Amino acid sequence: MKRKLRGRGVAASWYGIARTATIDRAGAWAELDDGGTGKVVTGVTEIGEGILTLLCQVAAEEFGIKPEQVTIGDNDTARSPEAAHAGATRQTYMIGNSVALACREARGRLFDELADHWDVPVEDLRAFDGFAWAENTNKRMSMAEAVALCKQRGVVPVGSGSFTAHGTGLDPVDGHGSPWQAYVFGTQVAEVEVDTVTGEVQVMGIWAAHDVGRAINPRGVAGQIEGGVVQGLGQALMEDYQTSEGHPVTHGFAKYILPTALDIPEINTTIVEDPDPLSPLGAKGIGEPALVPTAPAIMNAIYDAVGVRIRSLPATPEKVLAALAEKRAHDMN
Amino acid sequence: MPEFDIDFTVNGRPVSRRIDPSLRLLDLLREGLALTGAKEGCGAGECGTCSVFIDGKLVKSCLMPAAKAQGASIETVEGLARPGELTPVQKAFHRTGASQCGYCIPGMVMAATSALRENPDAGLEELKERMGGNICRCTGYTKIIEAVEIARDVVAGKLPQTALDPEGVGASWIGHNTARLDAPSKVSGRLAYAGDMVMPGMLHMQVLRSPHAHARIVRIDTSEAEALPGVACVVTADDVPGEDGFGVFVHDQPVMARGKVRHVGEAVAAVAAESVRIAREALKLIRVEYEELPGLYDPEDALKPGAPVIHDYCPDNVVKHIPVRKGDIEAGFAAADVIIEDEFATQQVEHAYLEPEAGLAYVDHDDVVTVISPSQNITHHRHMLADILARPINKVRFIMSPVGGGFGGKEDMIYQGMLALAALKTHRPIRLIFTREESIACSAKRHPSRTRYRMGLTNDGRITAIEFSLLADGGAYGMSSEGVMRKAAILSCGPYEVDNLKVDTKVVYTNNTPSGAFRTFGGMQAQFATESMMDIAAERLGLDPFEIRRRNMMRAGSLTHTQQKLNSAAIDRVLDAAEASSGWEPGAPTVRGSTRGDLAGPGTRQPCTLGARFATAGADIETVKVAS
Repeated sequence: MKRKLRGRGVAASWYGIARTATIDRAGAWAELDDGGTGKVVTGVTEIGEGILTLLCQVAAEEFGIKPEQVTIGDNDTARSPEAAHAGATRQTYMIGNSVALACREARGRLFDELADHWDVPVEDLRAFDGFAWAENTNKRMSMAEAVALCKQRGVVPVGSGSFTAHGTGLDPVDGHGSPWQAYVFGTQVAEVEVDTVTGEVQVMGIWAAHDVGRAINPRGVAGQIEGGVVQGLGQALMEDYQTSEGHPVTHGFAKYILPTALDIPEINTTIVEDPDPLSPLGAKGIGEPALVPTAPAIMNAIYDAVGVRIRSLPATPEKVLAALAEKRAHDMN
Repeated sequence: MPEFDIDFTVNGRPVSRRIDPSLRLLDLLREGLALTGAKEGCGAGECGTCSVFIDGKLVKSCLMPAAKAQGASIETVEGLARPGELTPVQKAFHRTGASQCGYCIPGMVMAATSALRENPDAGLEELKERMGGNICRCTGYTKIIEAVEIARDVVAGKLPQTALDPEGVGASWIGHNTARLDAPSKVSGRLAYAGDMVMPGMLHMQVLRSPHAHARIVRIDTSEAEALPGVACVVTADDVPGEDGFGVFVHDQPVMARGKVRHVGEAVAAVAAESVRIAREALKLIRVEYEELPGLYDPEDALKPGAPVIHDYCPDNVVKHIPVRKGDIEAGFAAADVIIEDEFATQQVEHAYLEPEAGLAYVDHDDVVTVISPSQNITHHRHMLADILARPINKVRFIMSPVGGGFGGKEDMIYQGMLALAALKTHRPIRLIFTREESIACSAKRHPSRTRYRMGLTNDGRITAIEFSLLADGGAYGMSSEGVMRKAAILSCGPYEVDNLKVDTKVVYTNNTPSGAFRTFGGMQAQFATESMMDIAAERLGLDPFEIRRRNMMRAGSLTHTQQKLNSAAIDRVLDAAEASSGWEPGAPTVRGSTRGDLAGPGTRQPCTLGARFATAGADIETVKVAS
C-alpha cells in the first residue's frame, strides 16, 4: 500500500441569520455632513470581520459619496443608538440594513431641498460618488455643494434607521416556530492526504460554495470563508482543549495546537447570491456558516482516502493511527 | 535587584533608559516607550505578535530580556515606514484584505518583511515556512500569503506598482471590493486595543483565581494584601452593592465567586495596585480557606441520581433541554428500508483570539462608571452591570474597544464587573490584561458534545425519519448554553426536508471550564453528526454523496425541522457550485480515493515540505561548489 493516500469528501450545511427565535433589532443615525462627507453612528461594529468598511460602502451608496468620506461613530452605549451585539452572523444583516435606512432618510431630506431648488420631481434625483444630479437634465452639483445648499435652506440632512428581524420563539413541547427570517446554505468539498505511517492528515484543497445573499464586499466574504474554513480545519484535526478533573492541561499555544500558514489548504471560494427579499440590502451573512461544513467534509475525505471513519473530533495523528490499526486487525479477521 | 542603565537605538533614534533587570524587551517597548505596535499574544514565544527586529534579525520580544538590548539597534512596526506612509508589504496587506481583527498583523508584517529581506525571491512554500511562527486566528492565512507574494513581485518589478492600488468603482459601491478602511491603522501598528490604552493615574489589576474545581469558600482574609504598600484596594463578592449575577440567558455567575467556586480559574478576589508586580505580590497575601466538594467532570455523570449539585437553583444540573418534534417518528422508521445508528463526539475548543481579554474602567466627571473593553455585547453588559452596581442605566457606560478576535468568546462579562467595582472603590482608572494562560483557562469554550443518531432511509436514499439526541457539557456556568442548544436543535438534521423527526439537545452543569458562545453556536456540532451520517448512508445505499443530499435537500416551500415554511433555499445552487468548482468525480463514497481521477488537480496545494528555506540555502552551496 502507498504510504500517503488521498481522498475527497463533501458536506453541506445551513444556518440562520441574526438572533435566534426572537425579534432582533438594530438602530443607526446618519448625517450628510459638510464637504459632502457622511457621518453614521451605531451601537456596535467591528470584531475583525470588516463590518466598518461594509457600513461605509452602504452609507456611501445611500448618500451618493465615497466610502472613505464616511466617518463611523460607534460602540459606545452612552453616545450611540442600540444595535445589540456583535455576533450571530447579524452585523451585515441587522446593522447594515439599519445604516442603509438611516442614510436613505438623510438623503431624502437633502433631495427634498434639491428638488425644490432645481424645480424637478424628487424621483428624478440621483447621487453617486460625490455628485448629485437630476436625470435627463444638465442639473448637477457636487455633494459638498448640495449639503451647503440644504443647510442654507435651513435643513440639516439627518436620518435615523431601525431594522427589525422577525424571528419567533420555539414551542416548548414540539419546538415549532420560525426562528429566523433569512437562511443561508453552504457546501464544501475537502481533499486530504493521509500519511498512513504517521497518521498525519494534510488538507490539500477546499472548495467552498456559500450563499450569502447579496455580497456587499466579495473580497471580504472570501476572507470570512477562508478564516472559517481554517478554524474548522483546526477543530477537525488538531485543536483539543483538555481538562483533568477540571484542571486545564492545555493552557498555552505549545499544548493547544492551532493551524499555521503551513497547515492551510488552497481555499477555492464560490459566492452564491440568493438575495433576501425582506431587507433593503438583500444581503444575509457569512461569519459563522463558513466553518460549519469544514470538519465533516474533512472526515468524509479521510474515510474516502483510507477507509476509517473518525466519529470523535479531532482526527489527531494518534486517533487516525489507532483507527488504521483497528481496521487492519478487522480486515485480517 | 538594582536597576541599571542601558542605551540602544529604536527606529533609528538613540534611547537611554534606567530599567528593572526583570523587564522583558516587549515591556520596555510597550510600557517604557509607548510603542504598542508589538502586541503580547502569548508571552511564550509561540504566536509571534510581539515580533521586532534586533540588529536586523526577527526576534520575539516577549522572550528577550530588555537588558540584552544594550547597544542593539531595534526596529519595530512603527519604524518600517514614515508616519502616514506604508511599505509595499503594508500596502499589499491593505490591498488584499490580509488584516481582519488586526491583532496579529503587526507581527505578521514584521515576519513578512523579514522573509523578503532574507530572500527577496522566496517562493510560496518558503514564505509559508518563514511565516509559520506567527499565528493568525481570523484570516486563514490565505490573504496574508497572497499579500506577501504581491509585495515580493512589486518590489522585484515583476508586478507594476499599480498592483497595490485600490480597485476602481463601477456604478455602485455594493459589490465593490473596497479595501478595508481600518487596514492602514492595523498594518502600521497604530490601532490601540484596550491593553494598549493608558490613563493618567491608572492602577493595575490582578485576579486571584480558584485552584479548585468545586469548593465552598469558608472565609477570605484580604487584610494583609490591603496593607501592602502600593495596593489601592482589594475587591471580592462582598463589594457588590446590587444584584450579583451575569450570563446571557440565566444570570447564574457572580462577578467573583460568592460562597463557592465552581471551576478552576474562577475569579475569587482582585487587587488594584500601582503596578502589576505589586498587585501580583498582593495576591499571595490573600488568605482563602476552601472546603473541597465532590466535583462533576462528565456530563453523563451530571444526570445520574445523587450527582453533586453545582447550582442550588438547578437540582438536576440540566441547564436547558430543547425538544423538536415533527411528523410521526415510528411511522417514519417503519417506512425505512435501512436504519443506520451511530454516535459522534466533538471536543472542547478554545477561541484563541490573539488579543487576550483586557479592559480599562474609570468613573467620569458625571459619575458614570465607564468600562472600555473588547466586549461583543456592550448593550447587554450595560444592563447587567447596572443591576450588579445598583445604579441607573445611564450611569453605566460601555465602550467597545477594537476587538482583537472574538468568535463569541468576548460575549461574556467575565471581568468587566471586577474593574467597575475597583474603579468605584478607588475613583481611579484601572486596567486589567489577562495572560494567555488566564485567557485559556478562564474564558468559555465551544460546547463539547456527544450525539446519538438514528436515521431511516428508503433504498432510493430518501430520509424517512431521524432521531437525534445531543448532550453537551456546559461547564460551571450557564453563559450562552441555552441559546447554543436551541440553535443546535433547530439546525440539527441539516439542510434536508425530513418529514418525521425527534430531536433533543440537552446541556448540563459540570465543574469543567464553562462552555459558551463560539462561532456557529452549536450549529457545527450538530451538523458534523448529520453530514457524517449522510456519507455513511450514501455508502450503504451506493449513492454519490451529492446525489443523496440532492434527494433530500430543502426547497422553496419546504417545511424546516421547526415547521417553518421556506421562501427560498439555495442549497441546490451551493451543491452545484461546489461540485462544479471542485471537478468532483461522481461515485458512491466506498473508499475510492485510490481510484479517483479528480485528485491533486487545480485548486490544491503542494504537500507541506518542511525545510523549504533551507533548500534555497542548499542550492546556494551547490552553486558555490560548482564554481570552485
